[in-house]
Amino acid sequence: MSWLSVLAGNPGRAIALLVLLVLAPLPVAAEAGSVTLGVLGYRPDPLVMAKYQPLADYLSRETGRDITIRVLAQEEMDRAVASNRIDFFLTNPAHFLMIRSERSLTGVLATLQRDWNGITTGSIGGVIIARAGRSDIQALEDLRGKSIATPGLHYLGGYQAQALELQTAGLDIRRDNRIIYLGNHDRVVRAVLAGDTDIGFIRTGVLEELLQEDPGLETALKVINAQNLRGYPFRLSTRLYPEWPLVSLPHVDSRTIRQIASALFALEPDDPAAVAAGLASFAPPADYQSVEHLTRSLRLPPYDQVPQVTWLDVLHQYRLWVAVVTVLVLLLLATSIWLGRKKRQLSRESRRLQELVASWPQPMLMIRGRALSDCNRAAVELLECRSAADMLGQPLERFSPEVQPDGQDSARKLAGLLQRVQVGDVAQSEWLFGREDGSHVWVDMTLAPVYENDDDTPSVLCSWYNITRRKQAEERQRLALKVFENAREAIFITDAHGVVIDTNEAYFLITGWDRNTAIGRLPPLPVDEGSSILVAARKHGVWSGEFASRNRDGRRLILSLTLSSVVDEQGEKSHFVGVFSDITRLKETEKKLRTMAHYDALTNLPNRVLFAERLQQAMAQARRQDYRLAVLYIDLDKFKPVNDAFGHDAGDQLLVEVARRLRTVLREEDTLARLGGDEFAAMYQAKNTGRNGYCGFSGTGS
Amino acid sequence: MHRRRFLQLSLAAGLAASLPGCGRGDPLRVGIHPWIGYEPLYLAEEFGWLPDTVQLVKGSAARDSMSGLLSGQLDAAALTLDEALRVCSTGVDLRLVAVTNVSVGADMLLVRPDITAIEQLKGRAVGVELNGVSGVMLLHLLERAGLTTGDISVVDIPVDQHLEAWNNGLIDASVCYQPVAARLEQAGAVSLFDSRELPDTIFDVLAVTHRAEGRQPGPIKDLVAGHFAGYRYLVRNLHDAVYRIATRQGMAPELIRQALATVMLPDLAANQRYLAKNGTIETTAIRLAGLLEREGLMDKHPEHERIASQQFLPRRAE
Repeated sequence: MSWLSVLAGNPGRAIALLVLLVLAPLPVAAEAGSVTLGVLGYRPDPLVMAKYQPLADYLSRETGRDITIRVLAQEEMDRAVASNRIDFFLTNPAHFLMIRSERSLTGVLATLQRDWNGITTGSIGGVIIARAGRSDIQALEDLRGKSIATPGLHYLGGYQAQALELQTAGLDIRRDNRIIYLGNHDRVVRAVLAGDTDIGFIRTGVLEELLQEDPGLETALKVINAQNLRGYPFRLSTRLYPEWPLVSLPHVDSRTIRQIASALFALEPDDPAAVAAGLASFAPPADYQSVEHLTRSLRLPPYDQVPQVTWLDVLHQYRLWVAVVTVLVLLLLATSIWLGRKKRQLSRESRRLQELVASWPQPMLMIRGRALSDCNRAAVELLECRSAADMLGQPLERFSPEVQPDGQDSARKLAGLLQRVQVGDVAQSEWLFGREDGSHVWVDMTLAPVYENDDDTPSVLCSWYNITRRKQAEERQRLALKVFENAREAIFITDAHGVVIDTNEAYFLITGWDRNTAIGRLPPLPVDEGSSILVAARKHGVWSGEFASRNRDGRRLILSLTLSSVVDEQGEKSHFVGVFSDITRLKETEKKLRTMAHYDALTNLPNRVLFAERLQQAMAQARRQDYRLAVLYIDLDKFKPVNDAFGHDAGDQLLVEVARRLRTVLREEDTLARLGGDEFAAMYQAKNTGRNGYCGFSGTGS
Repeated sequence: MHRRRFLQLSLAAGLAASLPGCGRGDPLRVGIHPWIGYEPLYLAEEFGWLPDTVQLVKGSAARDSMSGLLSGQLDAAALTLDEALRVCSTGVDLRLVAVTNVSVGADMLLVRPDITAIEQLKGRAVGVELNGVSGVMLLHLLERAGLTTGDISVVDIPVDQHLEAWNNGLIDASVCYQPVAARLEQAGAVSLFDSRELPDTIFDVLAVTHRAEGRQPGPIKDLVAGHFAGYRYLVRNLHDAVYRIATRQGMAPELIRQALATVMLPDLAANQRYLAKNGTIETTAIRLAGLLEREGLMDKHPEHERIASQQFLPRRAE
């Protein structure tokens, strides 16, 4: 009747239905007056049919309609519902939810009540069975990894109720267990009994029904997680849910629904129809939200789709959090930008500072522990290293000679300095470095503590000042002083007026004036020229000469003096430096030598050289003054026999006596000389004397 | 079934101060006794929805919870509103953090069939447990009829002795509740008045001590959340819950279903309303305290600026 109206209302669907009808030419259920009630075949079809036939008979009797029962498996019922070939159906709540999600229904007319041994219940649950002999299966946890037989996914008592209990106990059977779908409960029980599977899932009541047929099952099977609820007539392993709903399809007219419903509610528990089906009665529809919640919890169809959560939903639900997080993120961003800018600024500053230190003309270094940790360019250049890398990490004594000029060991001296710095002092020391090429550098080294990063032991800032030139100047000065002090010549320094301001040791030895008494006096000067030599020295820069002087004790001296003027920075002659030596003895020797060259050593008479010299002079004078000269040549005869007879000493005495006698007869101005051997010569100057001169001479010859 | 018997516990109150306090790590000890309105908490415990921070201390009647509160053994308890007020009046200040149920027919007046109006109680013997919630019920219904306790003959006996007294003809009327009421009805009593006619008057609440409120706010929230988790299960999975309650109470599931019908379990939104400032709980508490004091059933009026608190309720249902 009503599916025709569906055809009229929905042509597309009608075509689909027609195709279905052609393919499966089953009789259409809803003939005029007749009503088809589909019942889920949860147990073998004949059994279910036998149980529900009395109900059909009862309903036929009460409503005056032809009520037929059709026992359908779940898929068959789905198809029958889709094609409107049944008018009412009675199925388990989980299956009902599936059907309801796929097509619109009028709602639940009534909920089944079952009766068992006089106890009525409208609740259904699941039973977990195993063979009684399986001692390894006692509690829910023991089901992990076991094989499971079940009628199907869309059975409340045959799968879903158990699945929830196991999920609560922490077992995901769909992931961890092998599950076999057998279509109805009897097959499940058989599979467990036969040992095909370890575990069976069945709905409440089935086990009791089977026990009636075969009491032996009581000892063959056991129930896991038994609940033992008071007032509940069946064995149970899970929570309870409302029993099967009776549902009408939308095409059934309301009069039929009313008739059926009133007949169902009027069914008394003691009616044969009820007794046969094991039904107590039908109660007003129960609330199936617990089943919905169960299916949702298990994510099973029709609730297997995870709802699509959009950003707007999240935004709506977590508005406050989103706002807070946004604000925090913005704050974080702002802080990051600010920090980044600060960091750049800081790194710029630090780079500038580093440049400054690196290019600072004075060498600077950092020492951490004992090794160099940082140094600037000037330090590298000072030690003439190739790069800073050659220096970093090395101890400072590595660049020093083993022993410092003051005699201390370099490493030990440095350790002492660093120790002083480590307790907070600033240390200063002169230090000698050796370069690779062997040259040395003197520095004035200052060490100061630097506290970084809250370390207990400070780093050491080390700065050098190159004092090599100063050291060299000092050396020169020291040498000059030594020369001044130790020279054998006397040295004096006077001011511009010739007054002595410094003297050396030799000055005292020569003049007898020690430093203290000499200062403030005049130096020894030539008697006749005096201080005029200062004028000469000032004029020509130097004066030198020999002169006679006396020392402090009055002894005669002959000094050889060189006096130099010293020019100051302005070009003015500010000082005089005099160097003199005592040449008194030199002069005496000179005189002695001269005597030896001109006189005969035996007789002290002029020798041939002096005689010739004087003769020359006398001849020149005589010519000039027009007087005459007489030259006598005297030879002693028979001198050789005297020598041979009396010896050389006697010969010499004779010669000396001859010389004395000759001398006595000659005048002072006449010259007598010994020419050699026994030969003498005499020169007689005849100034205004005439001939008398010769007289004296003749007397001697006797 | 002595859920609402009250004992004079002033002595115990004196002890409370001297007991050592609980540490921060200790669980919140909650006194509870069998009553249909407290079933959500039992369910929560059974399903493991109460964390370790909450420990249910199960007594047989309200007096166990009250003495526990007064002696300091308990930090919280499930009680009727008047019981909570009496504990407050004996020195232990309580804060009401949840309403577990409102009586909608659970408490009733059963009379001999010849009495057809409350006014006819004048001069008759009425069995009542004055120190329990029945006392409050009696005061309310007498007030409704314009009578006082002086107009009737009050027979103050525990509720579990009412049937015997009825059968012996000692009382003509009984103020009682299930399941005594059912037995009296079987003995021929008829219901003349029940708490449905006193809407929003007889409450059961979760009460915590001020001390626990200050020191264990987290566990109190856990307790209230546990109650609502059990409540949701009771509402949603009624089919299962009925059998579990029946198993625990040792009664037929059908009786549990009937008992559940006589109480209204307020949901979260209703709790928010009840516990609001100057809401039903506070106004009822003030009125009730006045009544109890007037009738000499309570020593002194507890001084509270606020007795109820919403702050421990969960933010959202689920």
